[in-house]
Amino acid sequence: MGNETDSRLSQFRKGVVELAILALLHSGEAYGGEIVERLASHPGLAISAGTVYPLLSRLKKSGLIDSVWRESPVGPPRKYYRLSTEGGIEFAAMAKAWDGVTDAMDDLLGEGAAR
Amino acid sequence: MNPQEREAAGGLTPESAELVETYFARVHGALLVAAADECEETVDDLRAHVYEQLAGTAGTAADVTRILAELGPPEALAAQCADVVSGPAPSTPESRDGRSPLAGTLLGMPYELRVPTAERVAMRWWDPMNPNILVPRVFGLGWDLNLGAVAVKLCLIKPDDEDTPFESVPDRWLAVSAVLPVLMTLALVTLVALFQSALPAQVAVHWGISGAPDRFDSKESALILPVIMTLIGLAILGSAWLRRRPPLLRVAAGALAMLLCSISTAAYAQAVATAYGASDIGVLLPVMAAGLVLTFVMLVTLARIGRAAEMRRDLDGTSKKGSV
Repeated sequence: MGNETDSRLSQFRKGVVELAILALLHSGEAYGGEIVERLASHPGLAISAGTVYPLLSRLKKSGLIDSVWRESPVGPPRKYYRLSTEGGIEFAAMAKAWDGVTDAMDDLLGEGAAR
Repeated sequence: MNPQEREAAGGLTPESAELVETYFARVHGALLVAAADECEETVDDLRAHVYEQLAGTAGTAADVTRILAELGPPEALAAQCADVVSGPAPSTPESRDGRSPLAGTLLGMPYELRVPTAERVAMRWWDPMNPNILVPRVFGLGWDLNLGAVAVKLCLIKPDDEDTPFESVPDRWLAVSAVLPVLMTLALVTLVALFQSALPAQVAVHWGISGAPDRFDSKESALILPVIMTLIGLAILGSAWLRRRPPLLRVAAGALAMLLCSISTAAYAQAVATAYGASDIGVLLPVMAAGLVLTFVMLVTLARIGRAAEMRRDLDGTSKKGSV
């Protein structure tokens, strides 16, 4: 992959990671390591711990998610993240906007490929 | 206005054209302020687009106002253009402070020429959420050490153990970060009191890589640099506490004071050792290393105390151990 393609992809990712984290937490609460791991299992997103943790901190400061320490069945307690009420509303709005974008893009990309 | 635009504006009343031109003059002004002049071309295209749209109307002032209203205020439009051209602001804490020609990379090495703020310094040196151990230097060329990333790499803490570094640490523990540098200063003062009068008139003040002293000075002058460095550290520490800065800044000031004091102590102790016949720098490096390790241990301990406080807040409310 060329350098230029790489940087273009990273521009894409930055905008998407936030939505990806909200989507992941929408399906239930999770702790930091778990969020990193589950997002890393989607190589297309190419998200690392270095992106996830600062974003979690920012989402928490803006009130879209909150965190709580919970006992873990194995090992020491873990800090779990979950969507706040406000975060749920924001997620719904962002998901809707995203659908609009993907529909439009599918359309445009489909046109190009003459499907 | 260039010739094509004058032609495009031909069908408009002078008042309408004036409105459009005033609007775009403001956009250009805002772009200059944002240092985003690479957007000028985009804005010229936009202006042509506006004239095109106006061609399909009567070209009255009301039409102009309506079409321009769709574009929004000129300043917002300029900000939007600047964003598209330079890409959205990255979300990493590193680049939070925005773009500036005073910071960037030179031949692959980061440089930073903005005057460092206490916040920026503290965030670079203790940033557990950033996995990079080497971070762009707070001021100058090269890299600094991110002790937070070192602690994470050593599995001493997790990146998100504390919501905000040291924020939940109880006051009495926070005070440790101020007491330690004061104790270290007292140790230096004791060292000077014990040895200063017994030192020869000329002492070593600088050592080569081989360990042999390569610069000598009077024993009084030899004290000047250590004293100034230690006082700078204590002044930064005192100001952070007197001005009730956030915990991260107070702890960072304490860590800085400890490092400066340990460098001063190491230099003075080495001068004493050399005067007493030491032929290597077997005192300088261990004392400096001990200062760095002690500082690191203090930071990690405070981070873990902060984590414990957060846990207590969340877990005590429900139940004690294991019953969840």
